Amino acid sequence: MTRAEFLKSVDEILELPPGTLQGPEKLEDFPLWDSTAMISFMALADSNNQTKLAPRAMGACETVEDLLRLAKVEQ
Amino acid sequence: MHASVSAIEYYLPEKAVSTADLAREFPEWSAEKIEAKTGIGCRHIAASDECSSDLAVAAAQKLFAQGSAHVEEIDYLLLCTQSPDHFLPTTACLVQNRLGIPTSAGAVDINLGCSGYVYGLGLAEGLIATGQARSVLLLTAETYSKFMNERDRSVRTVFGDAAAATLLRAVDTKEPLLGPFVYGTDGAGGPNLIVPAGGMRQPRSAVSAVEVADDQGNLRSQDDLFMNGPEIFNFTLSAVPESIERLLQKAGVALEDIELFVFHQANRYMLDHLRKRLHIPSEKFYFALENCGNTVSSTIPIALKRASLEGVLKPGSRVMLVGFGVGYSWGATLLRPSAMA
Repeated sequence: MTRAEFLKSVDEILELPPGTLQGPEKLEDFPLWDSTAMISFMALADSNNQTKLAPRAMGACETVEDLLRLAKVEQ
Repeated sequence: MHASVSAIEYYLPEKAVSTADLAREFPEWSAEKIEAKTGIGCRHIAASDECSSDLAVAAAQKLFAQGSAHVEEIDYLLLCTQSPDHFLPTTACLVQNRLGIPTSAGAVDINLGCSGYVYGLGLAEGLIATGQARSVLLLTAETYSKFMNERDRSVRTVFGDAAAATLLRAVDTKEPLLGPFVYGTDGAGGPNLIVPAGGMRQPRSAVSAVEVADDQGNLRSQDDLFMNGPEIFNFTLSAVPESIERLLQKAGVALEDIELFVFHQANRYMLDHLRKRLHIPSEKFYFALENCGNTVSSTIPIALKRASLEGVLKPGSRVMLVGFGVGYSWGATLLRPSAMA
């Protein structure tokens, strides 16, 4: 999955219009970034990048970019 | 001698809480969103004076009312619950008396959650194969609702109360109809699905009853059920594929040889993800969540009963059962159902 496709999927998880997220956005600014969204992102990384994410490491992420880095999404 | 599952029945408490009811209580979540994520349209909740033993007795009475089993034949009772009527006596002993099971029968409680049915089947097979019992009544009964804070949507959307009764009889077959079994345990995950207070480690008190809101606005105290959803999901992604691989190796069969997969019905989203990751065709993967939710140790027998009624569970077919959750504890086995009542 490309970076653009990943971002589009995170848009969907956070119920944002496609193309909203670019990377620098702060996760705390999204009220829908909750445990359900975290599980959805874990499933996304597992299915498309074969990357198993530790919830604690996800909790330490501040921006969308941090999440992509954790999921080893190519820049 | 080997154990054969010869009858299953289940009981759901009268009170039902629909997803629409929950959406009214939690207006920040739509009914569509709850249902899309959980796959659950309705959960049944025990009445305030209804305990696990009541649910278990009701399920067993339904089973005996079928006419295919008689209470006098039961020589061992296994009752799986994490919400017993009392610390002591053993709930299985109270249920033995209420059902009129002979006093010559053994009776024991098993304290396990979502893996409990697979462990119960394993114990029943062991009791029968070693000649200790001929007719084992395996009861699973849970009233998690009594541990849930009314303002905690993370658990109220998922869990429902229920009980199931499974009769296992000794049959003289060359090959086992149940097994092999694989198990797994990792107590490091204990804090991720827990009721912290109420036992001896932390007795209930005014302090334990203090409610605190989490980041998402869910209210709960130390007396209430807590579930760390992302950690549980993470555990499941590791434990379930690994246990399935171990089971297939032990049984000497391939994934393609399995005709039906019945997993613990945790929630639709998790099951969908596991199914796709394991490349299991959707027509071989059974869901039974919609009308009862996650009923802990009763999800698998409820699913088996429904699959049997729908004709999806065919006598002689090879069925894989996988239980996983609180503990962490997990287990998997293969079942070859006979003509089941």
